[in-house]
Amino acid sequence: MSTTPEAILALLTERIRSTVNEDWIQDFEIGLETRFNDDLELESIEFVKIADAIQAHYGNQLGIIAWLSGKSIHELIGLSVGDLVDYIHGALQPQAA
Amino acid sequence: MARILFTVPPLTGHLNPALAVADHLSAQGHRVAWAVHAKQIGDKLPPRSWVYPLDAEDQTPALDAPAVRGLESVRLFFEDYTLPMAERMLQPLEAIARSFRPDVMVVDHQMPGGALVARKLGLPWATMVTTTASILRMSPMLDAWVAQQYLALQRRYLEPELVVERPDLSPYKAIVFSIESLPGAAQARLPAPYVFVGPAQGEGRRPVDFPWDWFRPDSKKLLISLGTVSRDRDTRFFEVMMAALAELPEVQAVMVAPDALAAQAPPNVLVRSYVPQLELLDRVDGVVCHAGHNTVCEALSRGLPLIVAPIRDDQPVVARQVIDAGAALFMRHGKVSPAVAKASIEALLNTPTLGEQARRLGGELRLAPGAAGAALEIIELASLPVRDSRPQRPTLAKVA
Repeated sequence: MSTTPEAILALLTERIRSTVNEDWIQDFEIGLETRFNDDLELESIEFVKIADAIQAHYGNQLGIIAWLSGKSIHELIGLSVGDLVDYIHGALQPQAA
Repeated sequence: MARILFTVPPLTGHLNPALAVADHLSAQGHRVAWAVHAKQIGDKLPPRSWVYPLDAEDQTPALDAPAVRGLESVRLFFEDYTLPMAERMLQPLEAIARSFRPDVMVVDHQMPGGALVARKLGLPWATMVTTTASILRMSPMLDAWVAQQYLALQRRYLEPELVVERPDLSPYKAIVFSIESLPGAAQARLPAPYVFVGPAQGEGRRPVDFPWDWFRPDSKKLLISLGTVSRDRDTRFFEVMMAALAELPEVQAVMVAPDALAAQAPPNVLVRSYVPQLELLDRVDGVVCHAGHNTVCEALSRGLPLIVAPIRDDQPVVARQVIDAGAALFMRHGKVSPAVAKASIEALLNTPTLGEQARRLGGELRLAPGAAGAALEIIELASLPVRDSRPQRPTLAKVA
């Protein structure tokens, strides 16, 4: 199972498209700069579904929701796909001994 | 006879419920006074009202609707509107309260200046909560952010022992213009002595002309409205709805939108910039709206199912409540395409469970005591003495 940032982005993009599941999202360009709030108009319930799917995929409690609940209002407003990719990538690294 | 001082921000959705409650109190012979931005909303108060204008000291701009959405609008509302206004209102409101000497103050939840004055003077007071989004906890970080905003304000004005986590919610009574089953139990509530009275209903609105003979007897009828704040925001949403409805000739829709859009409207869409909303709701089969709290309660009161396309402020929270209650479908305001809009409208009109759940909620809403019930709650407080019999203050939760 690949855990490179590129692979995480590809997985996340696919989960966003299947969760939103509307016509516009299928051609919508999703990249590291894409913001959940402004660019995708994602509902919080959809974010939770996407997070659950990612965690199920990696067979791992990545703590995405706990990470999110520690975000300030300013961070939440600007939260991007890249922020989530970075977090997941970090959470998947083996702990240094 | 009690002396009752109302203070509300100059926003229609907050003023209308207060007007309905004050009507009941005045009719019972109580002395009602208003501390409000008289230049902005004075013309909406009943004739011969006792008004203490707040605008002499305050140049609070009308809340414009910048093109922000979601959480960004919540941040803007606190940081740029409610809290700066509260700070400027403390001294004038204290002077007004000392002059009028009310038995009870009635303070809108987004007029925290009034809440702090009542607390400082030891007056009994009630909070009027015009949206169920305001009584729910959010994430710990967001709750701490809100508390932090209020903390700074309180520290500059109140003795330390009077400072609390959420000064906007009265320890006497928090009157919520909704029913308990709408917020449900999914999300924890902020601690406060809530009284759910249901919608205040729309007393005091001005009459609006409408061409009632436009409706065909055999059509399915919709009302499409994004409310007064977002009506003039941008036209994309309305254009998408018109494109969808052009493919649904059996449906007739009244769309509250800028008049300029009328030229593009298909024959089954009537564009009006103002409508008699309550009378229209008595005629239609469904509603497409922004999930504004008042519009949602008014539609549900008539058992109407909804499509909710939330944009800002409390709308995403209210939208989620009515979707979870089974009476509404979601629409993504800035993204919806004509094809998705058409499918959603068809689902709205052809899914019987939506109407069943809307009628269930409507029954509860119609049973709620409304503005009359709110007036009774306020009168109960008016007999409490100042200071001495204050209920136990909620303990100050630790603020990060």
